[in-house]
Amino acid sequence: MQHLYRLIHANPRFHELERKRSRLSWTLASIVLANTAWYIIATAFFPKNAETTGLLADIARFWGQPVNEGGATTWGIYIGLVQIVVFIGLVIFYINKANGELDALKDAVIADALRAAGEQK
Amino acid sequence: MKKLKQLPLLFGLGLQTWAGSAAADVATALHNMFTLPADTSAINTKAVAMFFGFVMVSLGITFWAAKRTKSTSDFYTAGGKIGGFQNGLAICGDWCSSAALMGVAALIYSTGFDGLIYSVVPFGAWPLMMFLLADRLRNLGKYTLADIVSVRMARVPSRTLVSGASLAFVIGYLIVQMVGAGTLISNLFGLNYEMAQVIIGVLIVVYVAFGGMIATTYVQLIKAVLLLSGATFIVFLVLQKFGFSLNGLYQAAIDNSPLKVGVMQPGVLLPDPVNAISCGVMLILGGAAMPHVLMRFFTVPDAKEARRSVAWAASLIGYFYLLTFFIGYGAIAFVMKNPEFLDAKGVIIGGANMAAIHLAKAMGGDLLLGFISAVAFATIVAVVAGLTIAGASAISHDIYANMFRHGQATDAEVMKVSRIAALSLGVLGIVLGIAFKGQNIAYLIVLPFTISSTVFFPVLFLSMYWRRLTTTGMVTGGWLGLASAIVMLVVGPTIWKDIMGHPEALFPYKYPALFSISISFVTMIVVSLLDKSERAKAELASFDDQFVRSQTGLGAEGAVQH
Repeated sequence: MQHLYRLIHANPRFHELERKRSRLSWTLASIVLANTAWYIIATAFFPKNAETTGLLADIARFWGQPVNEGGATTWGIYIGLVQIVVFIGLVIFYINKANGELDALKDAVIADALRAAGEQK
Repeated sequence: MKKLKQLPLLFGLGLQTWAGSAAADVATALHNMFTLPADTSAINTKAVAMFFGFVMVSLGITFWAAKRTKSTSDFYTAGGKIGGFQNGLAICGDWCSSAALMGVAALIYSTGFDGLIYSVVPFGAWPLMMFLLADRLRNLGKYTLADIVSVRMARVPSRTLVSGASLAFVIGYLIVQMVGAGTLISNLFGLNYEMAQVIIGVLIVVYVAFGGMIATTYVQLIKAVLLLSGATFIVFLVLQKFGFSLNGLYQAAIDNSPLKVGVMQPGVLLPDPVNAISCGVMLILGGAAMPHVLMRFFTVPDAKEARRSVAWAASLIGYFYLLTFFIGYGAIAFVMKNPEFLDAKGVIIGGANMAAIHLAKAMGGDLLLGFISAVAFATIVAVVAGLTIAGASAISHDIYANMFRHGQATDAEVMKVSRIAALSLGVLGIVLGIAFKGQNIAYLIVLPFTISSTVFFPVLFLSMYWRRLTTTGMVTGGWLGLASAIVMLVVGPTIWKDIMGHPEALFPYKYPALFSISISFVTMIVVSLLDKSERAKAELASFDDQFVRSQTGLGAEGAVQH
């Protein structure tokens, strides 16, 4: 097995796979982390009185504002609902990529290694 | 010298007093267990009947599963043969404890918008788990989290850390669930607290010891379906009252809540930024590394199925969290001003935790109340079963088979230890559940998430992503992080001030995770970089092999061999 691992590690296509996968994973992960951070900021920095100003306070204040003048539903509710739906969407986007394109590349890398191992014997 | 001689005597006396009071406690517990409550009309027959139905079906499944549980692989991971969709449902069952149903609703009921932080933030753990951990975990793991770490790290120290932390995690979580169950059941079914502990304990031992992971999976699966459909039905009825207008529902909440417009705004629950950030980091990183959930990645045949199960789990859990946006506010609209659910002082009967349950009664009468009560009980039983199997695997696979027997134990011996471990955890659950009756266990709810984010997340993340991590670095950082987390929890506001009654807490924050995670990560990195031992060099050299395996699944347990 170790021999196969070395062969795969020497294959440039393996590094292509790794680059593609980590670019995809980290892009999506940063979207998720940024969105969650936004949520925590709104909870942590909601201003207690009208005079408080500053970027964080303004962001938090926006979450507490009704979407329609005089309505009850605030932006925070919609953002929260949309966030959950977006997270589910990102997961489904990732699984399509990973089970399709990336797995095809992975199978090709393994096939390359098995072929090379066969030739060496 | 004389003093020294007195020591055992003192100790003996102490033990005797302790044993005496313990015996008295046991006697009271036994007495309570077999005494029906004075008011037998309090027993909710519909709820009991529905729960009884659940128990019968699950025992039937356990009987069927027991015949299929022949090897350790069947016991720990159902032979790696569960399909993606079933596993996704089972993960949803493992994840959604009664806290997700009743706890989030309770928080929204009392603090409004901020309660949703417990829906949205932990849900962020799911995409994160999918993008950063799921594939690699499936490709490296076998039965437990410790297997992943010991692919590259020294067996004994790394397993001691991971299995020790797993047991602390499982026991902490177990107490929370058992105490919650007891309180819930005395409120819902009219049965007494001790009886509830025994029923849950016995059921768990039967499921886990005989049916192993196969039975546990199907119990989770049924529970997830019941929970999702019950919650959907409540939300449907709530929205129907307002002609499916969100504004109608939220306006009613604003009118009823003492917070008025504040109920729709953030800033009530965690007004202190450090606590809020610490809590958020704990929920997202801790949620991404829970051992009883990650263990489910090994019950599927390969990384492809693991991803499919995460996608199903994430969709179902996300859907459930969407429902929490309506259940908590529904309770404000229909329970808060309804005299049926309030005591003489106008406080909700059974505490805010009962908000979701009262809402069920307000919406669908006794029948829906019975159904939701049965679902809540089934939820606890299923989560405890999941925790027990995670604990039993840590004991039998990590500690017994790999640390004491150095991988030389036979399958039959390991199976025997697994079953004994499941039985002991069940008994321990009953004993601790009774011991912690009526106590403030708020700190225990923070403990599992803190351990998970402080130990499991850094250990898994660094061992898979960072070439330079060494055993010494990992173990030093892990233990230090764990110790610091426990110390900060003990001297923090919840235990030091609220429980022990000191005027001021020595550590000002309720959630120590931000600090303990930093200690854990920094120590792991610094000690690893300083580690110049031969073992460290070998571990560094084996990173490439582990990396190829984690990316390709070649050589993974139970994977299709190409």
